[in-house]
Amino acid sequence: MPLATHLLAAAATAVQPTLDPGTQQDQLMVLLLMAVPLAGAALSAVIGRRLGRNAWVFSVTAIVITWAVAMWLVYQTLFAHTIPDAGIHFTLYQWIPAGNFVVDVNFAVDSLTAVMLIVVTTIGMLVHVYSIGYMAHDPGRWRFFTYLNFFMFSMLLLVLADNFLVLFVAWELVGLSSYLLIGFWYRRRSAALAAKKAFLVNRVGDMGFSLGIFAVWTVVGTLNFPAVFATLPELYANGSIATWQMTGIALLLFCGAVGKSAQFPLHVWLPDAMEGPTPVSALIHAATMVNAGVYFVARASGIFALVPGAMVVVAAIGIFTAILAASIAFTQTDIKRVLAYSTLSQLGYMFAALGVGAYIAAIFHLVAHGFFKGLLFLDSGSVIHAVHEEQDMNRMGALRRKIPITHWTMLIGSLAIAGIPPLAGFFSKDEILAESFKSGFYVVWAIGIVVALMTAFYMFRLMGKTFYGPSHVDPEVEPKIHESPPTMTVPLILLAIPSIFIGLALGLPYGDSRITQWLTPVFEPAMEELGRTEQPFTLFGIDGALILIGTAVAILGMLGAWYLFGFFNLKPREALVRTWTERAKPLYTASFHKWYFDDLNDLLFVRIGGLVAASLWWFDRAVIDGAVNGVAHVVQSAGSEVRHIQTGRVQNYALGIAAGLIVMAVGFLLVVSR
Amino acid sequence: MSHDLNAYLILSGLLFAVGTFGFLARRNAIAMLMSIELMLNAVNLAIVAFGAFVPELAANGAVIALFVMAVAAGEATVGLAIVIAIYRNRRTPLVDEYSSMRE
Repeated sequence: MPLATHLLAAAATAVQPTLDPGTQQDQLMVLLLMAVPLAGAALSAVIGRRLGRNAWVFSVTAIVITWAVAMWLVYQTLFAHTIPDAGIHFTLYQWIPAGNFVVDVNFAVDSLTAVMLIVVTTIGMLVHVYSIGYMAHDPGRWRFFTYLNFFMFSMLLLVLADNFLVLFVAWELVGLSSYLLIGFWYRRRSAALAAKKAFLVNRVGDMGFSLGIFAVWTVVGTLNFPAVFATLPELYANGSIATWQMTGIALLLFCGAVGKSAQFPLHVWLPDAMEGPTPVSALIHAATMVNAGVYFVARASGIFALVPGAMVVVAAIGIFTAILAASIAFTQTDIKRVLAYSTLSQLGYMFAALGVGAYIAAIFHLVAHGFFKGLLFLDSGSVIHAVHEEQDMNRMGALRRKIPITHWTMLIGSLAIAGIPPLAGFFSKDEILAESFKSGFYVVWAIGIVVALMTAFYMFRLMGKTFYGPSHVDPEVEPKIHESPPTMTVPLILLAIPSIFIGLALGLPYGDSRITQWLTPVFEPAMEELGRTEQPFTLFGIDGALILIGTAVAILGMLGAWYLFGFFNLKPREALVRTWTERAKPLYTASFHKWYFDDLNDLLFVRIGGLVAASLWWFDRAVIDGAVNGVAHVVQSAGSEVRHIQTGRVQNYALGIAAGLIVMAVGFLLVVSR
Repeated sequence: MSHDLNAYLILSGLLFAVGTFGFLARRNAIAMLMSIELMLNAVNLAIVAFGAFVPELAANGAVIALFVMAVAAGEATVGLAIVIAIYRNRRTPLVDEYSSMRE
């Protein structure tokens, strides 16, 4: 095992005796954080497949250990402060030593990483536990748990990476895990296609991302985060880099985030990704992987803050995606698709926040959204399980009493995402809206308010159609509806708790909240670059008014949905919904068909792009191949003529030699006699 | 014995021409080898003649001639061995029958 010994040796050198013991311990913990889920994946793949129904053993154990390790690191970073504000940075080994292109495998833990670790490992663990119940009847469960652990490894690598290339590798690995898990039921054609779509659309973004990384290396000469984030502003300040170059770098890097976090125009893959098993949708496509783009832009905030143009693009794409996705979520009937569009919309919020310079608000929303959206997805999985794999909300209804735990937890999740105080979404969303208003991005704020109204509305439309009103469930399935097993309901309850309290815990007190204290060191350089100064919080002034407006629209949206789609004993008004739908038929149809983005892509890339590709193929075959084959043909036919002089008779050859000699001799004599 | 270098050179040239003609005209492999020997000997004659008539060459001419004879002997050995090998295969000494390597 040369690789293993190499790694061990590298680990030994990484943990140098010169460092103080505390740091050594931290470094070992960081390595453990990645090694454990990787080992879990390996064991699940090799041994897990022989365990049948117990295939989850290694995987879930590994994640519980990972969670414990992560919580230890989080405690050290955020509470005990044994890890300095600048974080710990260390190199595991030198990866690419190629002349002046040197890349190390190095990792960092700072408060931003720690906050990400909370989200990733906690939700990861609960989703793993939930999957025990959800995947109990699937023959491929060992494969599922292997992939899931592998995803956890990739995601942890992503948040721990301390240079662009390691991050990029992790970026691709989470993409791979996502691909494998979307296509988990690969026998279903739609799942296989959705996996392929996700992979291809992500490649588009990653293309820009890798170009951005090349540009960073060309300009700075290193890929390490601290060095890049320290050097780029200096280079920009002393004029070595033009504004357009800096904007270009920022936007190219943003491309990757657009792809991974499914922002317009690369948002098309995420709704289709719902073909994967529901725990996957909850973990990867709601709570963790899709946040990678937000995390990366936040991590690179120092670069983006230098160029206001790029910031505006980020904000514009974010808020446009937010309202676009919300408008689509209005009319979808597949319960998971509503949630998928809602995820797009909330990610749009986060990018809008990043674009207006409200980094802390963006990460706050990321955390809060991770919990309540993870909860909502797991709830939807429980609902789908209860009604026997039916995902159409038009064939649900009146499930409130039949699956009470799912109902109550999903109600909490919906209240949280709608932004009803004092649940998680209220604090984070309010902070984004307030920050964008106070930084002068009134358009972003106005659209954000509309999106908040829409969010509350479509979430309670989902609730109404699923849990209240009359039952539309298949009469054959109706009597068999039952609550999910405890492995599924316990994670729901455990996720509902942070969905209620995490806003209170992190968002208070106003003006100097806990999350602000945690993250200020990370975002200080970017905030200084933007010239943002700490403003005092005014409860009876602008801030109070903004909170009031935000809450009012959320409640308005919620009440509207209650009125139309029912709530507890309130009857839905199906006739009214039908007439209004009829009245706005074109809008309804357009929204139902996702504003025809899939059709547009089909036209642009499949048909027109296909034509271009076909003509290029023709050019390649006819002209380029033709030239090459033509040369070969000419040589061949010339050869077939010339070979007749090879008679095979010795005398002919000898005559040739003799004649040649005579010519040479005569020529020699002529030259000499001259 | 003539004391004119030209006489030797003319004889040498004639012998070489006969050898060349024989090599080009004869179809029998043995006869072709004999022609080659004739050409070599013609050249040898010229060398020895130069050695005798040009004072600066002196003994060198004889040495070169001996050298040529040694090489000729080697050539004849190898050549005859090849001819015999082909003859055992093809049952003919005529070179225009050896056509398997044409085209």
